[in-house]
Amino acid sequence: MYIKINNIEFHASEGETVLDVARRAGISIPTLCHKDGVEHYSSCMVCLVRDRRNNSYIPSCSALVQEGMDIDASGDDVKELRRKAVELLLLEHRAECEAPCRVVCPAAYDIPRMNRLLSAGRFREAVDLIVSELATPEIRCLTCGAYCENACRRKKIDTPISIRNIRLFIFDKIKEEKLFSGSAAGSDARYSAKEELKNRFSSRTGKLNDAELRQWLKECDGMSERYRDITSFEQASSEAESCMHCDCRAAGNCALRAVAEDLSLKDPAGKLVNSPIKKKINKNTGLIFENAKCIKCGLCVRVCEDSNDEPALCFINRGFVSIISEPLTAEFDDILASQARKAVEVCPTGALSFIEKT
Amino acid sequence: MSEKVKHIEEHGCNCQPELKSDDIKTVVSQVVAKCGREKDKVIPVLQELQKRLNYIPSEALKEICRLTEITPGQISGVSTFYSQFRHIPAGKHIIKICAGTACHVKGSGLITEAFRRELKLDETTSTSADGLFSIEEVACLGCCTLAPVVQIDGKTYGHVKSTQAAEILYDFINTGKHQKDLHQEVAPDVYDAEVRIGLGSCCVAGGSREILSRLFEVKEAYDLNIKLKPVGCVGVCNQTPLLEIVMNDSTHHRYTNVKIVQVEDILLKHIKPGKFGKRLIYRINDFADSFVHEGKLNSPINLPGEKREEFLNNFLSYQVHIATQQSGILTPDSLDEYILLGGFEALKKVLRQSDKSEIADIILESGLRGRGGAGFPTGKKWKIFSESPGSPKYVVCNGDEGDPGAFMDRMLLESFPFRVIEGMMIAGFATGASEGIFYIRAEYPLAVSRVSNALKICYERGMLGDNILNTTFSFNITIFEGAGAFVCGEETALIASLEGKRGTPILRPPYPAVQGFREKPTLVNNVETLSLVPWIINNGPEAFSSIGTEKSKGTKVFALAGKVARGGLIEVPMGITIRDIVEKIGYGVGDGRTFKAVQIGGPSGGCIPASMADTPIDYEELSRMGAMMGSGGLVVLDDTDCMVDMTKYFLTFTHKQSCGKCTFCRVGTRRMLDILTLLSQGKADMKEIDELEKLSFEVRNGSLCGLGKTAPNPLITGLKYFREEFEAHARGYCPARKCRDLIKYVVNDKCTGCTKCSQDCPVGAIPFSPYEIHVIDQDLCIKCDNCRITCPEDAIEIVNIADVHKNQ
Repeated sequence: MYIKINNIEFHASEGETVLDVARRAGISIPTLCHKDGVEHYSSCMVCLVRDRRNNSYIPSCSALVQEGMDIDASGDDVKELRRKAVELLLLEHRAECEAPCRVVCPAAYDIPRMNRLLSAGRFREAVDLIVSELATPEIRCLTCGAYCENACRRKKIDTPISIRNIRLFIFDKIKEEKLFSGSAAGSDARYSAKEELKNRFSSRTGKLNDAELRQWLKECDGMSERYRDITSFEQASSEAESCMHCDCRAAGNCALRAVAEDLSLKDPAGKLVNSPIKKKINKNTGLIFENAKCIKCGLCVRVCEDSNDEPALCFINRGFVSIISEPLTAEFDDILASQARKAVEVCPTGALSFIEKT
Repeated sequence: MSEKVKHIEEHGCNCQPELKSDDIKTVVSQVVAKCGREKDKVIPVLQELQKRLNYIPSEALKEICRLTEITPGQISGVSTFYSQFRHIPAGKHIIKICAGTACHVKGSGLITEAFRRELKLDETTSTSADGLFSIEEVACLGCCTLAPVVQIDGKTYGHVKSTQAAEILYDFINTGKHQKDLHQEVAPDVYDAEVRIGLGSCCVAGGSREILSRLFEVKEAYDLNIKLKPVGCVGVCNQTPLLEIVMNDSTHHRYTNVKIVQVEDILLKHIKPGKFGKRLIYRINDFADSFVHEGKLNSPINLPGEKREEFLNNFLSYQVHIATQQSGILTPDSLDEYILLGGFEALKKVLRQSDKSEIADIILESGLRGRGGAGFPTGKKWKIFSESPGSPKYVVCNGDEGDPGAFMDRMLLESFPFRVIEGMMIAGFATGASEGIFYIRAEYPLAVSRVSNALKICYERGMLGDNILNTTFSFNITIFEGAGAFVCGEETALIASLEGKRGTPILRPPYPAVQGFREKPTLVNNVETLSLVPWIINNGPEAFSSIGTEKSKGTKVFALAGKVARGGLIEVPMGITIRDIVEKIGYGVGDGRTFKAVQIGGPSGGCIPASMADTPIDYEELSRMGAMMGSGGLVVLDDTDCMVDMTKYFLTFTHKQSCGKCTFCRVGTRRMLDILTLLSQGKADMKEIDELEKLSFEVRNGSLCGLGKTAPNPLITGLKYFREEFEAHARGYCPARKCRDLIKYVVNDKCTGCTKCSQDCPVGAIPFSPYEIHVIDQDLCIKCDNCRITCPEDAIEIVNIADVHKNQ
């Protein structure tokens, strides 16, 4: 049969979806809850198109082709409705794409990554990271008012991570060992890095209550010693242990962020709280689930097989408070023993990820 | 078996120490043995388990997974999706407070608060500390005409006031909870009169069971030669209990609002006692009574018949009974009587039909459209279904009526179970289906038991099973109890729930008629639709299509409730105007109030202003006005009802009932509700009203299923017809004086200082000051409305806070 998309006729076969035909024809339609080869679910509504025959908006990922279909896949109204869908998803997406320290840093240094490398004892890589970020022979931190420490979430719990001193210590090392060749990219490079970060879509958590704030503590070792002044890599590493990992592990490959950017959306104000932020960490597989980032697309539920031997993730509750969870009969530690990677790979946001420290 | 399980089985409560793990295992294995091990048995298994244990402990979930094919994720998803299932123990007695539309407009919110106060519950708990009572707000108990309604363990209290919480709890604890079981009596062959008493849920709530047992007593005491006959719903729900005496000469005597003390007099007025001695006793007693009871002369018993029945006749004369044919005559449980009055004639007629496809043609020709709300032509659906390949084919009767303020499906199932069964069998025969499933809300226990009883009788009598009535037609029907999810009224969600999944809808096509339950063709028809079918077959399509308007044929059953003098269950011809329903059948709004609007179609429908009340009721007209036929709730509103409050009420409902699958419905309804809440608190401005309006259209366009697509309707019509009221709230002013953040209670100078209000104030906001004008401490006042109800002088007024400031 033939169906029309954006006024052009395309061949389509029985059982295909509108999205299948559009993709084949090179017409781009964004999706979040859809994955080729996985049973379709149609929850995100980001793939909406308009059926001109009755002016109804239908999710193209599960809309089966019908003879005589006349689809508008790119009209302004269609795009406007898609924008709304993403905006609504972002309203319940209480998450941060970038860590606060990095957002306020005038040079957009990747502070969380530095902390993770240090705490993992990968000092060489930490040094390399800072070298790569140097734009001039002098590090910016020397003259900066340490906005990073002011923004550090740890500050709300006890004291901020001693970011500036860590960086200055490492910078001294770089100077000592003459690791920096001097062929600086120029201060413009940091400026553009900062601009780039600023221009990227970035989600915010909105207001956090005390219990929620403490969820971030789960990401750091509570035993390590704190140091204000840093005089050795060991001290830097120990101090970095207390970093709470505020940046999102999926910042670079988040489908939600990408769609938001494509549709030039801003993060909406007034985030809605469907349940308190809770981070769950599976001790056996290192799987981490952050409920407030979840957009309830159910992909992780659909790709993993659920059984008594290996319980998988499932939906619990109904409506606005429905959420992905381990089954009521199992502990989070005991789920997805062999399928965790599948679940992480399919997640369109950073709700599911591995806790590995890089 | 331990003491614990025994105790639970006997008392249905959990006031004993923790369940032992072995007991749980025993119960689970019994439940699984009874319900089955397949994945799609998960809902019946959970229902049965909860019935036995009062709640669902997580250990039981594990055990179920161990013993059956049900997986951990599935059982977790299902048991938390449906509101019927509890994961923590509930109290010994469950107090169900109806939050249906009719109850809401009559102040059910204040009643919930009153009970919570009485039981000293905080915001997070719903069970009293002694484990005796649990509070539950339910979508609709289906007793809209008795609003507001509270039900404790099946005992119903109607017209409850917020000052009565303590009184009701006292009454409940101190009266026998268990009604005397009424054994089926053998009727004499020859009798002087037949005495009919309605036993629909509303009638029972109105006390008709007590009346029935009194009838037995009187009958025995005076040896009356009468036949006592319980009948289904009569529809005159606001006048329950309703008693009808049919004499041998076919004269009828009808009594409404019968009280227990009147039963004796009523019976003896028309029927002579059997034995001489008893007759004498009666004469003497009666003579003596005439001196004692002065009021006896004024009681309705002594009113002339035509006066007594005037209202009743008016109420009935505008109606046309098709789905509710023989209402008030038919005994719901009697197949013989149903057959005697022409039941199953339609089935016999179609069974003789050589060309089955003609049956669907007849239905198509009659113009019958689905009564579930959307109005798809039934005949067309049957045709598509019968042409779909696949076997077996299923016919599902959709009785998952969850709309607050609508209870016609419940009434039809309770009162005319055989008619619905017949309709379903005709549908099955006409379309080549062999399996029928009744999907009935678990909140309708009477409907479930009446239908299952009727099915049992049909099987015993060869009306169901193989080779029905000695033909080649074989048809089986089973019952599936819904577990408390409004969204399951949507056919694809209903099917998901039948399959033991979370009730989330999917995009159509494929339509269930082509690919539905277990991937087989499935015809989903509403209860009312099916109960119209036998009449159409018997009377011909022309008879049906001669009633109604051009595109909407036949009749529609409505639950008329709210601010109307006489509510009830009515069946009216399509095309009747809203005004006729409200004024002629319902006798208009109550004393001194003005008719403001009608809410049609519940949470999917809209409010139609009184100015448009001359519009005829039909599918197209209603949707043109932004409302919807919906399932048929018709709630009348007067000038004390606030549109912002109404809209907020419906959105609270849809938001709570959304399955949570698609973005627009899950998050969009929440956002709308948040803005409305701000508006009702005077914290939103015009900008937010604009956002609300825009969002309502976006949710309508972007949602996946009917629930989400129609959820904004109350808001869209509210803004269309009552925009100034929304704008008034943005200025901090509630014209109907309903939104509690914008109003306050004050005492005017009619106050005589009687101190009644002071005594009834639950928070001590009114100091005890006899013979002085009382004063309400605004800082303490919780706006519970008690003082206003109690005041004998109308001295408590509600004023807008904004007004007060302006005047100062």
